[in-house]
Amino acid sequence: MIRHALILGILVAAFTAGCGGKEGEEGEREAATKACGAAPAAMSGEPTFPDGFPTPSEVTYTAQKESGPSTIVEGYRDGDIDDAFDGYKTAFDDAGYDVTKDEHEEVDAEVNFAGGGSDGQVKLVQECEGRTSVSITIRPE
Amino acid sequence: VRRIAAMVVAIAALGLAGCGGDEQQRATLTIAVNAPFSRTSYVGDAIARGASLAVQELNAGGGVPAGSTVYTLKVRRMDNALSPHQAVENVRRAVEDGAVAILDEGTGVDASWRIAGAAGIPLVITYQGGTGLVDVAERPNVFRIAPTDRGISFRLAEYVIPRGLKVALLVDDTDYGQQGRVALAKAFGRNPASVAARITLPSRAGDPAPQVLRARKAGATALLVWAQAPTIAQVLVAARSAGWQVPVFTPPPGSDPLVRQQLAAHRRWIDGLTFASGRMTAELGPAQWEAFRAKYERAYDADKVGVQTSGGQEVVQPPEYAMYAYDTVNVLAAAIRHAGGIRDGKVVKALEQVTVEGANGDERGFNEASHEGVVDDDVYFARFRDMTFRPVKDDPLSSTLPIIRQTEGGR
Repeated sequence: MIRHALILGILVAAFTAGCGGKEGEEGEREAATKACGAAPAAMSGEPTFPDGFPTPSEVTYTAQKESGPSTIVEGYRDGDIDDAFDGYKTAFDDAGYDVTKDEHEEVDAEVNFAGGGSDGQVKLVQECEGRTSVSITIRPE
Repeated sequence: VRRIAAMVVAIAALGLAGCGGDEQQRATLTIAVNAPFSRTSYVGDAIARGASLAVQELNAGGGVPAGSTVYTLKVRRMDNALSPHQAVENVRRAVEDGAVAILDEGTGVDASWRIAGAAGIPLVITYQGGTGLVDVAERPNVFRIAPTDRGISFRLAEYVIPRGLKVALLVDDTDYGQQGRVALAKAFGRNPASVAARITLPSRAGDPAPQVLRARKAGATALLVWAQAPTIAQVLVAARSAGWQVPVFTPPPGSDPLVRQQLAAHRRWIDGLTFASGRMTAELGPAQWEAFRAKYERAYDADKVGVQTSGGQEVVQPPEYAMYAYDTVNVLAAAIRHAGGIRDGKVVKALEQVTVEGANGDERGFNEASHEGVVDDDVYFARFRDMTFRPVKDDPLSSTLPIIRQTEGGR
């Protein structure tokens, strides 16, 4: 029984992998036009950010983890990627942070920042119609 | 009659002068490539070839217009032999000879930037990632298109520490190694329990077996070797010949062909070596990178590593650092256009205003807040197997990247 379940699992995995032809940017583009599923649950408590780090009210934080010396905060923002991108750029300016580089493609964007004794990146991906995922990597100076 | 003839001549002369009003002057600008051609030829050639390829394309397109002049570009190779003294002399000579910009591997920049800066000339680093080399406020004429040591060291710490490894940090005593020591101290400074030992390797002493043994005795379960390519190869030989199958991590020189050449007789010893470097392909996919690579290989042939896979296929090196030099020249050309001239530090200021599409499709450029052209989050990890490398699968960025072809005629 366990053996059959294992074989079935392998077959399903192989089939799923085979279906994954639309990878990377193309897959992201297609996903961005589809309806969103249920939003991930908000994390309990607030993430720890550097001093003065902008926390746009539209962003819901879902997780925080340490990765060696760095902190990674995950979340999402209702709305499309354009608003999220412009929102973070403006928020960093208002907070006195430097935007060291930014790039906006069709369904993903990055805003790199420095300030508050840290630097890092806000990565945005429009994961479905009307929701943009937010992944923030913070590295101490 | 004479008077009429004189008037006709005068009118004709005026007419000709009017026709000539739109004519632009032509001039040639030199971009000096200051790199270690005689010591680490792979690095020097990569920078010079990438720059030359961009120059050829710009010249074939009519040159670079700025104000009333159209500039033809040319590349001048200057060997720094990894000597800071020689590197500074090269920059001095390039400035005296009227170079418009310096493309620099990074050696000696702590002194040479002032010489270029005093002449209002940009110095763009396309290899070394030392933290202090680029400083917008202190060194306004210095820029970089290459992964930073800070980005490499933090990404390595983010990858290694969560895996519970006890790392011996081995740095060599070259400029490059000592810059790495500073970067690693910051990246691993908050997690001292993850560091088994900090050891300096004498780069000219040959066998680093005593230092490798010291790392082993300190309880290291991984080695992070921040050193020039020959020293990385020697550390691998010392560890593997002692029967120590410890995981080894390195910055970009781990992928230098010289490491594989030196381990050609013990090809399995390089299997599992993991290095960090800037990702070659853009988020949009590998198409533009492949187009650049095809142009590069048409111009210079593929860079052969000098080893074969176990199946007998010739291994070739992707033109990663050539890409950075190629992008640098295109950003410079855009800055010259934008500045409308080359005098009085105009190009330096203009470099903060322009962005171009890089060889791989990513945007390349700088701004007033940052003179870095490669962001830290673009650092990925790749691991060797059978003399070629592929992105690791257990890192979020790396796992999304395609495998880059590394055999002649292969896929």
